[in-house]
Amino acid sequence: MKNPRWLAVSATLALAATVAHADTGKLLLTGGVSTIAGSAGGGLTPWAVIGSNATEGEVGFSGYATRAATQDYGLNGYGVAVGLHDRVELSLARQDFDASPAIALNGIAPFGVTPGQHIQMDIVGIKVKVAGDAVLNADSWMPQIAVGLEHKRVRPGSIGSVLDFLGTQTSGTDVYVSATKLLLAQSLLVNGTLRSTNANQNGLLGFGAAAPGKNRRSLQPEFSVAYLISKNLAVGAEVRFKPNNLQALGAAAGLGAALREDDWKDIFIAWAPSKNLSLTLAYVDLGRIVPGITNHRRQTGYYLSAQVAF
Amino acid sequence: MTHPKTLIALALALGGLLAQPALAQTSAGKATAPAGLYQALGEKPGITRLMDDFVNRLVVDPRIGGHFKDTKPAALKESLTDQICQLSGGPCKYEGADMKSAHADMDITKGHFNALVEVLQSAMDAQGIPFAQQNRLLALLAPMHRDVITIR
Repeated sequence: MKNPRWLAVSATLALAATVAHADTGKLLLTGGVSTIAGSAGGGLTPWAVIGSNATEGEVGFSGYATRAATQDYGLNGYGVAVGLHDRVELSLARQDFDASPAIALNGIAPFGVTPGQHIQMDIVGIKVKVAGDAVLNADSWMPQIAVGLEHKRVRPGSIGSVLDFLGTQTSGTDVYVSATKLLLAQSLLVNGTLRSTNANQNGLLGFGAAAPGKNRRSLQPEFSVAYLISKNLAVGAEVRFKPNNLQALGAAAGLGAALREDDWKDIFIAWAPSKNLSLTLAYVDLGRIVPGITNHRRQTGYYLSAQVAF
Repeated sequence: MTHPKTLIALALALGGLLAQPALAQTSAGKATAPAGLYQALGEKPGITRLMDDFVNRLVVDPRIGGHFKDTKPAALKESLTDQICQLSGGPCKYEGADMKSAHADMDITKGHFNALVEVLQSAMDAQGIPFAQQNRLLALLAPMHRDVITIR
């Protein structure tokens, strides 16, 4: 609990949750699940839906915990979100990234990296619905549209010396617009998100890069499709395109493609055994993540997330 | 970088394919109901059973039962049966009030509307109507939220 600001915001959100409407009335799964950044959506990409069970005139709350693991890396995350009148969503998330096996095998001692060092990142998010209704306007093509912002601050500990060498900043802000439509007669949900970002690996490797790496923002599209099998069961897939800011810098330093970054993909199944609980299991393909220290392997593995919502 | 472009093109193409049935549904409106829906609901006898159970569940629902305390259940069942029968493509004629005037005097929030959808889903489950067919019917009913919800 080194970060008092995080605690303060958590306390505020918890307080907001206690005054939340006792009987919130969103339809099952139509608030999405929690993304790794805390905003509501799929697992890897935010949707235009507003999190929690609160619909118009109501205040709702959600909290989640997520674990993802690939060949060489692990990520734990948890967070909370408040949904206000199905219009505004405030979210708070913390990620803990474990690269210690890869670090141990690749003595980056010259950088003074402590064995077992984790990278932590905090994310504050806000999303505002600006138009449409993703669920009920089944006779129209108009999707629900929302704009959002994710402000991220990474705390790399002793890995900070590596990030300094790469010339990356330790905080950054993603801005995105999402359009979500439930094609009710087809039981199919589609989402498209366009994100302006300069984050490396979602921000866990900082933001931007020293020349000749890319320091400026770029626009990255993200797509989700979900098919509703029943009221409380959905299967789907996601693709999230990402910048590749660091590769050119690595190549200039004689490391070839050691710092390459790839797009993310997943297939998922989400199950809501009750109105207040949902579980999401996914197979993720995160591409190469610092391939120079992982034998250029693609990072594939599982993603498991539990969410409570009121 | 052909990879992302290919995927985007695929996504757009997929969107285009999906667009066709939904657009057809929109432009056709009430004139032509989705093919086979009336049969999937069990035709007139099935819809009558469904609405009987639905209204029985509605009037005791703790969230929205109060809205129906001045409504005669038998009349509501008959009116809803005609409405769903006609909407789903059956040979019935709904002659009740339009949705806007029928709800104008009631305080109905989106939460109430969603609660009604849930009660209908439970009733359809009880009749053994497949989930995909349930959604085809809900797609015809959901847009009525514009006229039914009186508190925004």
